[in-house]
Amino acid sequence: MNTKNSSNLALISIVSLVFFLAAWEIYCRMGFIEPLFMPAPSKILSRAIKMLNNWSLLGHTLASTRRVMVGFIVSSLVAIPFGIFLGSSRFFMAVFDPFISLLRPLPSMSWIPLSLLWLGITETQKYSIVFMGSFVPSLLYIIEATKNIDPLLIRAARNLGASEVDVMREVILPGALPQIIAGLKVMLGIAWTCVISAELVAAREGLGFMIMNGKEYFQTDTVLLGMVMISVTVMITDLVFRKFEKRLLPWTL
Amino acid sequence: MDTLTNKIKISIQGVTKVFPSKRADVMALKNLSLDVMDGEFVVIVGASGCGKTTLLNLVAGFDSASQGQILLDGQPVIGITPECGMIFQQYALFPWKTVQDNVEFGLKMKRIPKAERQEQAARFIDMVGLKGFEKSFPHHLSGGMKQRVSIARSLANDPKVILLDEPFAALDAMTRQVLQEQLVRIYEKHQKTIIFITHSIDEALLLSTRIVVMTARPGRILQEIVNDLPHPRNADVQLSDRYMELKRMIWVSVQAEVMKSIEEETV
Ligand SMILES: Nc1ncnc2c1ncn2[C@@H]1O[C@H](COP(=O)(O)OP(=O)(O)OP(=O)(O)O)[C@@H](O)[C@H]1O
Ligand SMILES: [Mg+2]
Repeated sequence: MNTKNSSNLALISIVSLVFFLAAWEIYCRMGFIEPLFMPAPSKILSRAIKMLNNWSLLGHTLASTRRVMVGFIVSSLVAIPFGIFLGSSRFFMAVFDPFISLLRPLPSMSWIPLSLLWLGITETQKYSIVFMGSFVPSLLYIIEATKNIDPLLIRAARNLGASEVDVMREVILPGALPQIIAGLKVMLGIAWTCVISAELVAAREGLGFMIMNGKEYFQTDTVLLGMVMISVTVMITDLVFRKFEKRLLPWTL
Repeated sequence: MDTLTNKIKISIQGVTKVFPSKRADVMALKNLSLDVMDGEFVVIVGASGCGKTTLLNLVAGFDSASQGQILLDGQPVIGITPECGMIFQQYALFPWKTVQDNVEFGLKMKRIPKAERQEQAARFIDMVGLKGFEKSFPHHLSGGMKQRVSIARSLANDPKVILLDEPFAALDAMTRQVLQEQLVRIYEKHQKTIIFITHSIDEALLLSTRIVVMTARPGRILQEIVNDLPHPRNADVQLSDRYMELKRMIWVSVQAEVMKSIEEETV
């Protein structure tokens, strides 16, 4: 009953998408709209095939994905232990609070000029933009998750002989993990916006570069293809992340 | 009882506990003194809010007294002591750990090797009758099973003293009875010193070697009753005159204090 219902719903979604694409295609073919402003889906598809054949589409996608992953993983690896530490120490929270408050409102875009000045148009510069864009929000998520741990569990652990460090590793980390992962999932989306904006400004490859380059050559189909590729790639990473999440949180099943 | 020796295990000496608050400070305990002998099973009863949990938290070192001190084996309690294993009414199991891993927790904290840990934990899981549930996560278990895991987890850590704060209050009558019997068996076999809090006079009479009645807040000791009921405390004992006599006596004291605390609340 339930599965039948959900497969019905999926079918409705597919029909809706096909219908939309068909309407778009027809609208363009009838010449209602200048192809420079809005090419037909078939044009975007043929551009995709062309770019798949010379491997450039894959190259751009992989370049962006790699940047997102490196920046995001480094940022998470720093933010998780640091966030747990800050979340469980009021003293150090007070020490770092002013810096977190100052950094929080800055959009990752605002770091682009400085990062270009310091690092040039390099890979490290892209990583640093992703890092700056996702680090502080991740940190805040993790601090919050840490504070939400049931104090009774910390008490129970201490009562069983756990040291402060044991408590962080054995209680706070696993206890906060579901919330940390939920936060990181959001952060992954943010990491993608960071990398695209960095590539739009200065890059030699990547999906952001592909979009910007397409615009320079009046290839609107390339621009749209780049945008579609961003959506698809983010969807795929999200799916992979979800698989990963289930394995990390076996007790929530 | 023959397990009783004359050694004082826990000595609570003139303990006062005040919780500061913005409006009016709350004095939860006032100059409370109580000695618990090695191997005793002391049950504390008293009106709600009279400071029973506060007292147990002080013994476990979760909190510190405003005045007075608590000695464990003659040494003042400062900070949390794994020597006093606490069993909470809300079980406090780690939801991300299996039954096995929960029970192993204290041993893991002592850095005992995995193989030995597993063997020990298995013994205590078996003792509380949860063999076959080693790989389950706590949220798959009933309340009674969770509390048994929590008891096994505490026992595996081999504390000298076990503190229980209304451990069976959230369980149904049948489960409660099974766990009470199990606890008595564990007590008789392992010769632990136990402090047990309850609202149930019957539970107090069934389990204890001594019953301590606390006054309404601020908590002090109102009355101490040595529970001389014979073992096992089966249906016959529960219908005996002595049982009724003790029950009436405790009921009258507790009731008077409950009235006092209700009056205070309504003033
Ligand atoms: N952390 C705290 N801060 C302020 N007041 C507290 C705190 N803990 C307990 N109290 C107060 O101290 C008094 C004693 O509380 P306690 O929890 O020890 O009572 P209790 O005897 O365990 O009650 P119950 O039978 O309902 O569990 C209560 O009036 C309570 O409001
Ligand atoms: Mg209480």
